[in-house]
Amino acid sequence: MIAKRDLQKIFWLLLLFLLFIAPALLMFWRSLSPGAVWPELFSGEWNFRAWQVIFSDGNIINALINTVLIGAAVVLINFLLAVPAAYGLARFNFKGKPLIESVMMMPILIPVLAIAMGMHITMIRIGLTDTMTGVILIHLMPTLPYAIRVMKSGFDRLSITWEEQSAVLGVGRFRTFFTTLIPLLLPSIRSMAVLVFVISLSQYVLTSIIGGGQVSTLPLIYYPYFNSADSAVVAGFSVIFVLLPMLFFLVFEGLIRLYLSAVRSA
Amino acid sequence: MFNNTPLKRFSAFGYLLPALSVILFFAGYGLYSAFRNSLHLGEERPLFASYQELLLESPFWESVSISIWVAFSSTVISLVIGIFLTRRLVRLFQRDDWKFAAWFPMLLPHFVAAYIIYLLFAPSGWFSSLAAQIGWIDTMSQFPVLVNDPLYTGVIFTYVFKEIPFVILMMLPVYQEMDLRYEDVSKTLGGSDWTVFKTVEVPWVMPVSLEVFLILFVFVLGAFEVPALLGVTYPKMLPVLAYEWFYQAAWANRPLAQAMMVLLSAVSLLAAFLILRFTYKWRSHWAMRREDV
Repeated sequence: MIAKRDLQKIFWLLLLFLLFIAPALLMFWRSLSPGAVWPELFSGEWNFRAWQVIFSDGNIINALINTVLIGAAVVLINFLLAVPAAYGLARFNFKGKPLIESVMMMPILIPVLAIAMGMHITMIRIGLTDTMTGVILIHLMPTLPYAIRVMKSGFDRLSITWEEQSAVLGVGRFRTFFTTLIPLLLPSIRSMAVLVFVISLSQYVLTSIIGGGQVSTLPLIYYPYFNSADSAVVAGFSVIFVLLPMLFFLVFEGLIRLYLSAVRSA
Repeated sequence: MFNNTPLKRFSAFGYLLPALSVILFFAGYGLYSAFRNSLHLGEERPLFASYQELLLESPFWESVSISIWVAFSSTVISLVIGIFLTRRLVRLFQRDDWKFAAWFPMLLPHFVAAYIIYLLFAPSGWFSSLAAQIGWIDTMSQFPVLVNDPLYTGVIFTYVFKEIPFVILMMLPVYQEMDLRYEDVSKTLGGSDWTVFKTVEVPWVMPVSLEVFLILFVFVLGAFEVPALLGVTYPKMLPVLAYEWFYQAAWANRPLAQAMMVLLSAVSLLAAFLILRFTYKWRSHWAMRREDV
């Protein structure tokens, strides 16, 4: 009986691996081994040529830096806006709350393309088109509703007694927030940050309209590459998009560690 | 609770205000100016000329049907497979370490998922090679056209690959909070797997499924990234057509593009209103049933 259950577990894990992870590994292998000619499934040869091509291209490096800067700024602004909003929604009851909650979900209920097209002329007038600032602001639309949702369920799971206990002990609200709430909310903050970073990394059409082709990010360079004959370079380029969130996650974890040790010693 | 005093209510708005004003400025004002720009204000032509042109223009309706086809089929397939996987895996594994394998595609941007589908299903792709190795086909052209095809099969595959993890993410808490003792009741009384699903799980699964359906359907209708890579020139999906109009003919077709986006937003908001109202009623109905017991 137990053996049968274990067999089932192995079967399902294998299925999940084949469905969701193996395709990405195939892409990674293709970037190292472009040799496979149809109908060859794999080729034994491999080299780093595609990666050399990618990292010696100044446009790609420039776009990479822009993409990371925009992504990090979008995460930071989302944190500053979503945490108070989620706190307000989770800890207070007031008239019209369902209405406010639906307004906050609006950017994911209507196409962001509609928002970008509507805002284009206005953003030209206030000088936000063709700038990083404009691109960062428009990236808030597809991200902020998710950030608020993730942080709100974080606050919902967190019992209010922690805050009360802190208040009873005479700790100020500000201090409670930084020393108690943030460490307890870390799982939500972590998922919020990665989710927001990935969404910002995935934007092509918003960056293209508001950035006006002047703000170069990786997706803007990726699209013309998509149909290029050099399949190894396209594959390598795609792999960068998978590696960036992972690198971001590692750096973010490092920052969290620093923060926690600073809080503990304070 | 003790938070109904005017002061408390005021401070709630203080917390909400920053996020709310950003959203109202971009989404609210953006939608408003898209509507304004779609009208011919102070011009010779009638006010709603662009709407008239849009609705009488044939590529619009072709795009509407292909967009609805793609959005509906990819959303339904993702929901069915996602719910199936969740209910199997939740019962099989006590701890949920497996979820990280299932969530992996969420880390991929949509256009990278599109590239993976291209790599697998293109005429020169991996499955075509596999079919040739097995001996099913002899030349590349015998492999069915699954990317850049007029039925948008590759686009649907991409969305299914990307959205199943999202369905699992949304369904997992539902199944974890569900009282699975009802399943025992149903099983002891001779209920089949299907009866268990229908009577025990549906009351919980239904409202979340509808919400997920809404989010995904609306997203696919309005998303440009994937059909721009794996679509065809005719018929185009709505966002691709709108993007083309937006830059065409020295901006002369912008009102047309904006009229389309305004209509799409209006339909999406209406659908959201109806679905959220239904799920609210459904939830309160089942909450009452539970209190009776």
